[in-house]
Amino acid sequence: MKKLALTCGAAVAALLLAAPLPVAGQDRITNLADVPVDFEFYPLPPGEGVDEVYYGCIACHSLRTVTNGGYSRAVWDELLHWMVEEQGMMDPDPEIRVIMLDYLTTYLGEDWQG
Amino acid sequence: MPKEERGLVELYLQDPERADYLVFGRKAGPGRRGFLKGAGLASMGAVLGTAIPFSAHMPGGLIPAALAETVSDFMLESKHADMIVHNDRPMNVEAAAHLLDDDITPAAHHFIRNNGTMPMPMSKADWRLRIDGEVNEELELSYDQLMNDFEHVTLRLQLECGGNGRAGFNPLPRGNPWAIGAIGNAEWTGVRVSDILRRAGLKPSAVYTGHFSYDEHLSGDPERQAISRGGPIDKMMDPHTIVAVKMNGADIPIEHGYPARIVAPGWAGSVSQKWVTRIWVRDREHDGAGMTGLSYRMPRFPVAPGTEVPHEDMMVMGSMVVKSAITAPIAGTEMRAGVPFEVRGQAWAGDNHVTRMETSIDFGATWQVAELHQPHNRYSWQRWRQSIIAPQAGYYEVWARATDNQGNSQPMVVPGWNPRGYLNNSCHRIHFTAV
Repeated sequence: MKKLALTCGAAVAALLLAAPLPVAGQDRITNLADVPVDFEFYPLPPGEGVDEVYYGCIACHSLRTVTNGGYSRAVWDELLHWMVEEQGMMDPDPEIRVIMLDYLTTYLGEDWQG
Repeated sequence: MPKEERGLVELYLQDPERADYLVFGRKAGPGRRGFLKGAGLASMGAVLGTAIPFSAHMPGGLIPAALAETVSDFMLESKHADMIVHNDRPMNVEAAAHLLDDDITPAAHHFIRNNGTMPMPMSKADWRLRIDGEVNEELELSYDQLMNDFEHVTLRLQLECGGNGRAGFNPLPRGNPWAIGAIGNAEWTGVRVSDILRRAGLKPSAVYTGHFSYDEHLSGDPERQAISRGGPIDKMMDPHTIVAVKMNGADIPIEHGYPARIVAPGWAGSVSQKWVTRIWVRDREHDGAGMTGLSYRMPRFPVAPGTEVPHEDMMVMGSMVVKSAITAPIAGTEMRAGVPFEVRGQAWAGDNHVTRMETSIDFGATWQVAELHQPHNRYSWQRWRQSIIAPQAGYYEVWARATDNQGNSQPMVVPGWNPRGYLNNSCHRIHFTAV
């Protein structure tokens, strides 16, 4: 059993250690059809921050809502803001929010084919 | 059909403490006692729809039993296998174009656009419709009263998602990437909203309605509406705007709003509240969920693609726009060169109706007028047919273009980009090969 410290920073560090290995930008998967079905965070493509996004979203809606889009950073940022302010999403710690936004922008950016 | 996503249960089984932290912001304390407080407690309570009195005793990493069951794949067996599933929670499903070939859309071919949960059906005995706000007399109508105390009408009514065609916009606005199938033309039976509002008696201050329903917000927060839109009084008093109790002669399926829903044809489908329980007559434009910000709103003036439009420069959408679909043959079909074959489809135009239908098989260089039927009733879509001959073997595209009674026609390219991707009525096109 992993023992999580109570401080936020340590929790984040533990999360980062537990995250899958980052995928090099040029090797990333850019098409939903190419995401392995047995990937633990399917249908999200692998990449740093994938588990933060997975857990942060699945309480309320399926992940297809996320993979349906390939958006710019500005659109993802507005969407996260809208989810927290208007849709009752837990307001993530600022560090987690940055990790989520980085993941969404990098792996589900405008070249993503959902 | 979508591949399987892992549900919350599996996530919790794998690493319960991490799941707790990332889903609810809940951090486990020493001895795995839950440390539910602040945001974590509030958000878990919101998802459960209630506070957790014994939260201090709730072990960290314990998935709330209420969340152990999800609605994934709910009722999907009632839909045709060629329906395109964008999402299962919330459920969003559209028809492949060839499923729109019927003049009356069967329930199995009708798109579903949910904003919140798929609710457990409320019994007809328990169901009530409340009319309040700017009325002389508040009403609370039972299902039996709706069935027995009012005149019923049966109408074929086109119902289209405001974002139908969103997938064509670039950059892609957020939202379901609908292609062309978020439209249906079922036969709805119900009571005119105007008759109900007249019975309640509208005050001179009545200008808009706000609609409420018994489905739940996806967060589970009972204080939030999944969606609560409405329409100006003129639209709601239109004799084609109804509280429907039957779809194609049968009880309305749960995914389409059992036991009763509003159908306000020709406007974005979200005006047509499913599972409706209340019509709040307002003295101003309704400001419920989906009425404000960028939702179901268009820029007041044309904007460049990708523009960040300030909310005050957005206005609520009204009528949908002229549009058509090619429903036969299926795209990619092989035809015989030199032999005529039928291309057909449906056309509609929001509050207007279609007066001319044309097709082209030479990429828009020339257009041929198609046979066009009158609508069965106002607000029904209209059948069109065309006989086509491919002059020689090769690759062709059929383009279809409708024009309405106001002279508006469909653009060949995607029309004005807008932040949420509404009202794309560019020409539908399919390809075929002639051999």
